[in-house]
Amino acid sequence: MTSHNTPRQTQSRTEAQYAAEQTKIQTYTTLQSSLLSHISTSGYTYNPEAFALTTKILRLNPEYYTVWNVRRRLLADGLLSKRSSGSSPSTVLPTTSATSDTLGSSGSSSSYQEGGETPVSRESPGTEKGGRSGLQLEKTQQDDAAQESSTAQKNDQKVLTDELQFTIPLLLASPKCYWIWNYRRHILSESIFRLPTPVARRIWLEELGLDSQMLTRDRRNFHAWGYRRYVLGMLESKELDGKSMVEEEFKFTTDKIKGDLSNFSAWHSRSRLIPRLLDERQAGNQERRSFLEEELAFIHDALNVGPEDQSLWFYHQFLMASFTPGNEQYAIVTDFSTTEKIDHLAQEIAEIKELAEDYDDVKWIYEALVEYTVTLGQLRKLENEEETDLRGWLGRLRKLDPMRQGRWDDLEASWKL
Amino acid sequence: MPGNNFSSLPDELQLATAAHVKYIQSLDTRKDEYEYWLTEHLRLNGLYWGLTALHLLGHPDALPRNETIDFVLSCQHDSGGFGAAPGHDAHMLYTVSAVQILATIDAFDELETRGKGKGLVGKFIAGLQNRESGTFAGDEWGEEDTRFLYGALNALSLLGMLHLVHVDKAVQHVAACGNFDGGYGASPGAESHAAQIWTCVAALSVAGRIDLVDTDKLGRWLSERQTPSGGLNGRPEKKEDVCYSWFVLGSLEIIGKTHWIDREALIKFILGCQDTEKGGISDRPGDAVDVWHTVFGVAGLSVLRYPGLQPVDPTYCMPKSVIRRVLGK
Repeated sequence: MTSHNTPRQTQSRTEAQYAAEQTKIQTYTTLQSSLLSHISTSGYTYNPEAFALTTKILRLNPEYYTVWNVRRRLLADGLLSKRSSGSSPSTVLPTTSATSDTLGSSGSSSSYQEGGETPVSRESPGTEKGGRSGLQLEKTQQDDAAQESSTAQKNDQKVLTDELQFTIPLLLASPKCYWIWNYRRHILSESIFRLPTPVARRIWLEELGLDSQMLTRDRRNFHAWGYRRYVLGMLESKELDGKSMVEEEFKFTTDKIKGDLSNFSAWHSRSRLIPRLLDERQAGNQERRSFLEEELAFIHDALNVGPEDQSLWFYHQFLMASFTPGNEQYAIVTDFSTTEKIDHLAQEIAEIKELAEDYDDVKWIYEALVEYTVTLGQLRKLENEEETDLRGWLGRLRKLDPMRQGRWDDLEASWKL
Repeated sequence: MPGNNFSSLPDELQLATAAHVKYIQSLDTRKDEYEYWLTEHLRLNGLYWGLTALHLLGHPDALPRNETIDFVLSCQHDSGGFGAAPGHDAHMLYTVSAVQILATIDAFDELETRGKGKGLVGKFIAGLQNRESGTFAGDEWGEEDTRFLYGALNALSLLGMLHLVHVDKAVQHVAACGNFDGGYGASPGAESHAAQIWTCVAALSVAGRIDLVDTDKLGRWLSERQTPSGGLNGRPEKKEDVCYSWFVLGSLEIIGKTHWIDREALIKFILGCQDTEKGGISDRPGDAVDVWHTVFGVAGLSVLRYPGLQPVDPTYCMPKSVIRRVLGK
């Protein structure tokens, strides 16, 4: 019902194609009605057959959100251990059993997903203990409880990592499907409640690695960038024994940008990390000035290569907040004097003018010249020559970018020259 | 005014109204197509998209009213929320579509007499607000997104039940999703994206807080979504796509800056994405059509005052006449 990049079919289906399509429909609707009948007879009580049906349906249609929900309920009912309210695991599990969760491995699904194997059974506590008494009994019960808790954790760890594994091929095939990302989020949050913190933390770190690989496949994937912020937030949180990862993540954006200057997502992410980065470095005024200089040098290098790339200009505007009245919220340096602001603006304008000599048909250059000159005019009276430049640049804009004529009209009308 | 000189254009640049109406009417008869079954999770949204397109095209009665109401009510759960189709779980996305459909065909009273009542619908939506941050979850599983926040304000305002939620907190949350480029993302810190921008700006519009938008910055970012094709993209350096004719243009309309793009070029782009024979509009010329691109293409044309179309409300993506009737304004 929402197709993208799919060529329009001009010919109608052949008889064979029609028949094949009917078979696919038959298979799909049979799976669907089998699952619905399971639910209507036994609700969300775990049943390997019903669980296997969710696997099959989701492989055919990962957008089927209700089936993801069914799967979550079945997991909670039968595959995962029952959570005792409020308690979190205290024993640390040996780390050998962690399933690797890398993109390279094929979407191998564990046998329980096919309904062939029953999950690790959980005996109810307190059975067959009649012969023991006193302290010995208490000790044994404690041992049993510890043993049981450890078994339950191992089971949960396997179930959760299998679930993450199951969704990888689906994510690779449908990287923009909200529900797959949501499901992984759900499974990951279960790991926090059910597994010892170091084990859970490792799972979340692997998830960050997966996300990085998704961003290698599609550097602009909106879902993967948003999900990344969420995973990082959790990895930095108390729940996962975390600490700030802002330095590493800042470096991640540098790497992404160096790989591809047009990656607006990476530039955006960088702009959001900088305030925290500087706070955490406890950067003083001098350090902030140097930082801004470095960022300006970085963006100038980029602009020299690709001045027609709007991603770069948006980031340039972000950096210019430090010199722009009314943009203090985004300023990297907050204590520039008016004279310093004027000097910096003049310097930027000079740099961009030089760029205009090499690329005289790139409208972004004139837009920037106009914008920063107008800003300059808010800080001091413009010289006659500057006003003449301004009109000339606007003329270039009108010529190079006639689609946005209305905007240039409004811009001109706003000047009080 | 753009659009007045389009009658002299070749056939492929005429709006194929009759074909689009027929296409939308045919959508529920395609049970021999695999796609029909694979998209059941969008059914109620699809009904809203199709119905809205029909109303804007001036064919409000092209779908049978009673069957429409029956289907909508068959998707409702005891919680008050709606699923995509019978047997699908309740979710904000479908609950909003249900409210929009019932509002469009003036059938809120049926919700009282045959459904579970307006009150329960309002309660379901209000129950999804995060009382700390002000944002909304989509369903019981807790995924939060400005899409759901907008949906909640949209539906609750139509139901006259905005008082059930903390509108001020929701507004604060939208403001927190703002970025230096003037745009908005799905959550605080997220990249600006045209579709999220529309949900944020429209949510502020429902709340009467458009004053919080930096209209110059946002208008600039939005106007740069227009590519040389005349179409609009959703983010810098991405391909144009008809659905952004709504998300970008609707946002520009709310902030009064549609003249910051080339409107005639956009009209031509949208018309060029029609299947003039079989009806429907696609993302780009020559691609497969669907009802999502059809409604957003038609709604975009309506914002651009294309002749013969009913005016669309940019905040609700519903006919202005419906919004006037329901909200009394």
